[in-house]
Amino acid sequence: MKTIVDFDKYFNSSLQADLKPIEETRKSILGKVVVLTICLCAALLLLFAVMSQTIANGDVSGIFIFAGLACFAIYGVIYYNITKDYVREFKSKIIQKIVKFVDENLVYEQSKYVTEGEFESSRIFEISCDRYKGDDLISGKLDKTAIKFSEIHAEYKTTTVDSKGRTHTQWHTIFKGLFFIIDFNKNFSGRTVVLPDIAENLFGFLGKALQSMNMKRDQLIKLEDPEFEKEFAVYGTDQIEARYILSSSLMKRIVEFKRKAKRQVYLSFVQSKMYIAISYTENLFEPRVFRTLLEFGPYREYFNQLELAAGVVDDLNLNTRIWSKT
Amino acid sequence: MIMLFGLIIVVVLIILPVIVMYNSLISKKNQVINVFGSIDALLKKRYDLIPNLIATVKEYMKYEKDTLTRITEMRAKAVSGQITDDEKVDLDNKISKALGSIMVAVENYPDLKASRNILQLQASFNEVEEQISAARRAYNASVVDYNNAVEMFPTNIMASMMGYKQKNVFEISEAERKNVDAAALFKS
Repeated sequence: MKTIVDFDKYFNSSLQADLKPIEETRKSILGKVVVLTICLCAALLLLFAVMSQTIANGDVSGIFIFAGLACFAIYGVIYYNITKDYVREFKSKIIQKIVKFVDENLVYEQSKYVTEGEFESSRIFEISCDRYKGDDLISGKLDKTAIKFSEIHAEYKTTTVDSKGRTHTQWHTIFKGLFFIIDFNKNFSGRTVVLPDIAENLFGFLGKALQSMNMKRDQLIKLEDPEFEKEFAVYGTDQIEARYILSSSLMKRIVEFKRKAKRQVYLSFVQSKMYIAISYTENLFEPRVFRTLLEFGPYREYFNQLELAAGVVDDLNLNTRIWSKT
Repeated sequence: MIMLFGLIIVVVLIILPVIVMYNSLISKKNQVINVFGSIDALLKKRYDLIPNLIATVKEYMKYEKDTLTRITEMRAKAVSGQITDDEKVDLDNKISKALGSIMVAVENYPDLKASRNILQLQASFNEVEEQISAARRAYNASVVDYNNAVEMFPTNIMASMMGYKQKNVFEISEAERKNVDAAALFKS
């Protein structure tokens, strides 16, 4: 296991040299991005000026809001096109190397991701997706355990019709963050889902009663580890199988992993595979545009995120293969 | 008319909770029985592995002949089905202990230790042990659930009318609770 100190050395001795040409690219597109941003501000100001006049005349129209949104959309498209090559270059050269540094056996593919089918077969989120995207797939075999994870963003939409008969579509996030598929070290055929425990945290004893009435889910499984029970609620198809998977030591390890991640963690176990979802609000592994690439700060983040992800196999002790599954 | 309507509402309000309590007690009791049955099934799965183990180790093991015959006898008794629950638990503890000593003895025979068969058997035993322990935990959880219903108000009134009594959880035997004494293991 490599530490942040090792990574700091690696950053100074090797990555710096690779970063210099990319830093040049960044500087060259920075001018364009600044001009683009000024244009956006100007357009918004203009729009605001016109709008305040029309409001003074007593004529308010939704067209301004629409125009404002259009400005942002156009800005987004142009911004994406300007930075596209820069981001690609950064990821293929730098993130690629950091992944290899964290573990030799891992492979990085920037435009691939965990598929929607795989995401849905985890059964962690019971809402079906209307829009699904992702990137930064990292996969490999760490000792005896095959692991695969990527960034994904799954959303569903709701449409409402207002009094004037116009339809509004709204997108809601189901999950955004890192999603893992890991080969589990025990065989099983059913399904066990481990979710962050919201009801019990809020309502205590009554929360437990609420959980058992959750119709969408399988049976509630009450486990004996109080710390684990405080953090998570478990649903499964089989009371015994769920306990076969969630041994006392795995429960402890999951609690520790959650504390280390400092984020919302969801897990599920379906047909000998383990799925983990770790929520992130930001996009991961993206290079900065407005500030220099040569500072260590953001790389500490990339390293920590990757180390946490690749460390899950050791943290949950998945290389122990003393059962009939090899 | 209103009187009658009111009466119906009152009756429903009384009967409905009674039905719910009655059914939940029954389902909790059945859950306990169901999980206990699974433990039995898993123990049988372990007994089924024993002949394989004996067949694999008996050619190699010279000094453990006694233990092997003892295991075979105990297994035969356990699967015969003519024993009480208490005897079953007791017999199972003895078999576990004897199997443990065989698994330790395997370490003394390098050929045996490396054989594919024994590795596979060890994995199967580990698996079924882990499943048995999972089933015991499930049993304890369902017993706690059941006991809570039997003791807590208002289901306790219903339970006492139905003649339901508290059940015992599985306890780890005194021998298992002690720290593993490695020296003693190697002596056997």
